[in-house]
Amino acid sequence: MRRIISILLLGIVALGIILTLVKIPFGVSKTKVGKYYIDKGVEETGVTNIVTSVVVNYRGFDTLGEVTVLFIAALGLGAVLSTRKKKVKRKVEPASLILYTGCRFLFPLILLFGVYIFIHGHLTPGGGFQGGAIVASAFLLIYLGSRERRIGERGTKAIESLGGLIFVVVGLAGLVISGYFLRNFLPKGIPNLLFSGGIIPIIYIAIGFKVGSELAGIIDNLGGAVSRLS
Amino acid sequence: MVNPVLLIVVPLGLAFAIPLFGFISKRIEKYIPLTAMLFNLIVSLLLIPKALQQPIVVSIGGFPPPFCINLVAGPVGILFSAIIALVGLLVSVYALDYIKQGATGEYHILYLLLLVGATGVVLTGDIFNLFVFFEILCISSYALVAHSGDKAGIESAVKYLIQGAIGSSLILIAIALLYGLFGTLNMADIARNIDSVSSISVFVPLVLFITGLGVEAAIFPLNAWLPDAHSSAPSSISAILSGIAIEVGIYAVARVIFTIFGAQSILLFLLLLGILTLLIGEMCAFSQRNIKRLLAYSSIGQIGLILFALGIATHSGVVGGLFQIISHALSKALLFLAVGYMIYRTGSLEISTLEGMGRKMPLTSLAFTIGAFSLVGLPPFVGFPSKFLIVRAALIAQEPLFVVLIALVLLGTIIEGAYFLRIVQVLYFKGEKSNSKIEDAPIVALIPIFILMLLILIIGIYPKLLTGVLNSAAGEFLNRVGYIKSVLG
Amino acid sequence: MIYYLGAFGLIFIGLYIVLVKHNLIKVIIGLSILNTGINLFLISIGFVKKGTAPIFSHPGLKAIRMVDPVPQALVLTAIVIGVAVLALALSLAIRLYQHYGTLNLRKIREQKW
Repeated sequence: MRRIISILLLGIVALGIILTLVKIPFGVSKTKVGKYYIDKGVEETGVTNIVTSVVVNYRGFDTLGEVTVLFIAALGLGAVLSTRKKKVKRKVEPASLILYTGCRFLFPLILLFGVYIFIHGHLTPGGGFQGGAIVASAFLLIYLGSRERRIGERGTKAIESLGGLIFVVVGLAGLVISGYFLRNFLPKGIPNLLFSGGIIPIIYIAIGFKVGSELAGIIDNLGGAVSRLS
Repeated sequence: MVNPVLLIVVPLGLAFAIPLFGFISKRIEKYIPLTAMLFNLIVSLLLIPKALQQPIVVSIGGFPPPFCINLVAGPVGILFSAIIALVGLLVSVYALDYIKQGATGEYHILYLLLLVGATGVVLTGDIFNLFVFFEILCISSYALVAHSGDKAGIESAVKYLIQGAIGSSLILIAIALLYGLFGTLNMADIARNIDSVSSISVFVPLVLFITGLGVEAAIFPLNAWLPDAHSSAPSSISAILSGIAIEVGIYAVARVIFTIFGAQSILLFLLLLGILTLLIGEMCAFSQRNIKRLLAYSSIGQIGLILFALGIATHSGVVGGLFQIISHALSKALLFLAVGYMIYRTGSLEISTLEGMGRKMPLTSLAFTIGAFSLVGLPPFVGFPSKFLIVRAALIAQEPLFVVLIALVLLGTIIEGAYFLRIVQVLYFKGEKSNSKIEDAPIVALIPIFILMLLILIIGIYPKLLTGVLNSAAGEFLNRVGYIKSVLG
Repeated sequence: MIYYLGAFGLIFIGLYIVLVKHNLIKVIIGLSILNTGINLFLISIGFVKKGTAPIFSHPGLKAIRMVDPVPQALVLTAIVIGVAVLALALSLAIRLYQHYGTLNLRKIREQKW
């Protein structure tokens, strides 16, 4: 019964969406706003990766919200999983030598790659979120390799807060200096160089650190809760 | 110059900084939301005179409006942000003493971020940005409902999360369809172009928006999460969820219908949904034994009333709806705050355990009574002028259908009166005169309760205080062309 | 057009799972599929035939064949929001399991719907 009703419901929704969809042309031209960004983006922001210029500058406020959402998730996870019980010292089966050594070998390389991705976010594909996710994957690897090792909670918390604060403070500096929040008030430099784009790389690096530490914190929290569960 | 962007950014920055303050001293943490909301209240009040003359449009990043995100601080936005700041401030004072257990630091950050999300939703002029702030509001409320970590809290948070996640997915589909159709995300820009495509293809995004936003706004039949979530959250959070979160959902529905789509055809449907929500909410509330579930169902009823008033879509109807939003925010916050300490002292949610509270906790019981009378709509409390305006608006509209519907609204009010009077009777006239050790709420909790009581009385006696703001706010909702002009020039 | 079909296929599979399945983990997987479908739909709205990524990585690239950057920025945001919801949902699932010993949503009915 439930299935039939759901399928009927979905059928109605599908029919409606198809009616709208036929009006949306596929794969042809760019829309108004997108065209503006491609035409003017490099000139106005000094960044060659237009997606980055949209994410950090044109729609920077969305990104501020996005960072906040991840911050909420990390905090909410901590609040939900926090137990008043003392952490029981459990004997964890150590990982095999190959896994352990491999993880220790790969850890700095992955970390370096993640940092590269978010430092070059305004030049090449990638950026703060992608780089941050890669950094967090390095910590996931450490967690797999040597399970007893934990990530310092105070450290991740401090980096999270500082990253968010840098974003807000840079935005407010724009407000003070030029009257617009998140205005790109620094010199834009020559496009395609590492030091270009004004505030954009600064914000993306802050986001990179923040996302990396947040995701690492989430992994740590979930892992701790699961090992208590079993 | 005071910039409306500060209303969002400063509390956000402070929220990011709370963990750092926490390193210095754990005791500072709980004062930060209070400071941030005090700041927001002052800024909102400063901005009101300017916003009344002309909506303040701020672009972020300094590019011309359709190409960047812009904030529109019109009368509606500023009115809502002032209410959010006021209720947020009072509840954070209350929480100073109320929240003692569990992850308190996380509680205060999430609480502040919930309010930031709500403020962002009411101020933004960009549809995707609205979605982002809406998610901030929703996700922090999922986490806060589960804050207590007990069975009921976790279970209702799971329900809330699943339904909320489906709702926000629908909103995202609608945004994608709109972007495909118009190639822009600016609300004014979409509104300007909405007539250029056939009405069928616009209708689907509209329905998806109403369904998606309706989950958070608790419109029937999308409100299955609400009684659970509101009743199992900590009382301070219930007050915010009931007083702020669902109102912001209603605001988003109204903004989408009135400003973006200008959809006249769907208003009748909205009206009927409102009536249905009202009657179902009130009837379920009538049969409740659990005091917080009763209040939660009564919130559903009130949302139905607000939806009904907005659905009338005349000037006086929208004024009545907005007034009802204010009166519901104040009264419901007061009720939940008062009930919070009664439950804290008795340890039970059953209405029958509240017997004789009128003698044991006289001040809290008085607050509860005032809040209940105000919700029912008795003079001289704030609920009276708001309900009166709605009834008058429906009668002025001179449609025979409205007369029938207003009769149903009055029926809902009678049911509401019946169950609230029953509780007041339990509070004062039942129970033996035993000398139990239950004492009244602490002074920190009584201060916000008193301020809310005063506000309910003052606005109830002088509703003219708000008439100016409400009139221009209703004007902003109904005057689409004016909105588009003020943003895009 | 096939991109739209694929994206909406995923969206409807996700919605169906969420509506019908009883196990919380399956519901969470459904939400995740739903999110992926929406992201694909957003990306395919910005698609341009034979287009390139909107990055001027070397001089001489023509702007005319670049895909729309806005949906890509939106998808970035949507992915992060999806991850946030997913993480919170999983943590709630862990706690629910601690309390009830089961993840079957039909069996967990302490409170009336």
